[in-house]
Amino acid sequence: MDIENSNSITPETGERTGCKKEGRFSPNAIAELEEIITHYPNKKAAMLPALWIAQREYGGYITPEAIREVASLLGRPKAEVEGVATFYSMYNFKPKGRHHLEVCTCLTCGCVGAYEVVRKLEEILGIHLGETTPDGEFTLSEVECLDWCEAATVIQVGNKYFGHVTKDNVEMVLEQLRDSDDHTPISLADDIVKILLPGREPKSNAG
Amino acid sequence: MAELKLLLKYRDVPGIENIDVWESFGGYEGLKKALTMERSAVIEEMKTSAVRGRGGAGFPAWIKWSGVLKHTDAPHYLICNGDEGEPGTFKDRELMLKLPHQLVEGMIIAAYATNTDKGYIYIRGEFVEPAKSVRKAIDQAYAKGYLGRSILGREDFNFDLYIHMGAGSYECGEETALMSSLMGERGQPRLKFPHGALPVDAGAWDSPTLINNVETYSCAPHILRNGGAWYASMGTERSKGTKIISVSGHVKKPGNYEIELGTPLMEVLDLAGGVIGGKLKAVIPGGSSVPILPAEKCVGVNMDYESCQAAGTMLGSGGFIVFNEKTDIVLLMRRTAEFYAHESCGKCTPCREGTRWMFKILDRIVSGGGLRSDIDLLQDITNNMDGRCYCPLGDAAAWPIRAGIKNFREEFEYWITHKKSPIGDDCVPPVPYRINPALIPLS
Repeated sequence: MDIENSNSITPETGERTGCKKEGRFSPNAIAELEEIITHYPNKKAAMLPALWIAQREYGGYITPEAIREVASLLGRPKAEVEGVATFYSMYNFKPKGRHHLEVCTCLTCGCVGAYEVVRKLEEILGIHLGETTPDGEFTLSEVECLDWCEAATVIQVGNKYFGHVTKDNVEMVLEQLRDSDDHTPISLADDIVKILLPGREPKSNAG
Repeated sequence: MAELKLLLKYRDVPGIENIDVWESFGGYEGLKKALTMERSAVIEEMKTSAVRGRGGAGFPAWIKWSGVLKHTDAPHYLICNGDEGEPGTFKDRELMLKLPHQLVEGMIIAAYATNTDKGYIYIRGEFVEPAKSVRKAIDQAYAKGYLGRSILGREDFNFDLYIHMGAGSYECGEETALMSSLMGERGQPRLKFPHGALPVDAGAWDSPTLINNVETYSCAPHILRNGGAWYASMGTERSKGTKIISVSGHVKKPGNYEIELGTPLMEVLDLAGGVIGGKLKAVIPGGSSVPILPAEKCVGVNMDYESCQAAGTMLGSGGFIVFNEKTDIVLLMRRTAEFYAHESCGKCTPCREGTRWMFKILDRIVSGGGLRSDIDLLQDITNNMDGRCYCPLGDAAAWPIRAGIKNFREEFEYWITHKKSPIGDDCVPPVPYRINPALIPLS
């Protein structure tokens, strides 16, 4: 967990005076959260789902305002919400590129060419691991096992896994993504929220 | 003993993820049969089958099931552990993606047997596609009356099944950490038996909770349909049934292979088309957490709980990673240590500090600054982690490093003396060209 490097989320002063800022959860998002809360014996259990909704509503990453809004909706202390959110690696605390390339370099991938893929991506994109291209299109990260080792090397981009990636075909992955508005941090969060709710039929990413 | 498809039998049938196709292959018949039986008789069938937990620990499933049923005064919860995260393992991913009804049916059977009316499938956040498949299966099962109120006309049986998505944490695959995460907390483990309560007595929301792996629940429809005795006719004396082995690494045909327990390890390697890129050097038979087996020790080992243990390793989750002669064990151990340093939840000091120190020391060795004493120091750290943490992550981080040193000590010594890989410049994983600065500041 990259806590030190993330934007620190600190409670703002004046919170207790009762002046509540407008949140960014849409009426639809509130309705989704209310339905999800009914799945559990208490509101607190909806913490992870609420953070996923927040990540979508706040543009792909969780801001101090998002923490405050989740805390208020679930009736929990802000410090607790922040404590939970920062534990998990899939909640972002900084804006990511439109496509977040997460290359698995764990045991299997690392032994069959993942590091070559990383180097090639750094070369093509002109950035290092952990950085975002100046045009905001791609963020490049290294991640731990994505558990699709039969298709090593695997790259996760938002809600999609790309398998069998090599240094020779990785450029094709980038080409596919350049034209796509899908597979963004927001579409990932949206898919996850829809999965939690019955009958929403999240669309399938074939291929 | 060889490949024996039970859970994966219909994997390649087009449309098998739909309820109609699943039913046309006998789907939900196990459930219908279970509903004609007493709850305790269903558990008796599980006992006869002797199926053991497929998540890695191999604990007899029926003991957990009967432990929940005996509580009559509190709400019960059913949890499926779909937080597959063990490096080298990808069976639950395929089971959820291709055969979601097998899992849903298994969970409904378990809910009936344990008198539970609420269940959760905890799926790792990255598994969007498998989770979509499970979502669709749950919706279809509701529409057909297999889920919800008065299931199949039984007024005493209601069961609601929900999906809970994780958000990126290996630790949440550990059952008590998973329950913390389900309850909206940081994914950290709780004190376990005998120091704390068992989940079957006080698990999620301090209520009796049954938690099993995806593969374990997926066995239940088959056991109910065909009988526990039939299931127990497969496998060895103490390891019954089949097991899905996820084969990856330096093999010709990586993938999931379902075998009868007790199948020789080398036969699994053959099923996957054999080693590529050179001779066999080593195998990790059960996921990154289990001790590595050098090639010469692989012969004669069978894929069952007892034989793996006798060989000094474990069947674990069935994440079978194959390494050829180009593999540098020190670099592999460094990458393994990096994984555990990243994934330690930070609750217990021996694990939080130990994983980081192991990574730093291995990093120092592959950066050319290794000391003679580093090998002993690494061993000392593993001894101070093993068995000293709330959950098995600390053990799982220590075992691979200890086995790496035990089986390939000369490679560690070569690195320290010569400051380079004994394999050469084309070794895998490659020598890191830059240490990931975000993970651990070098001091």
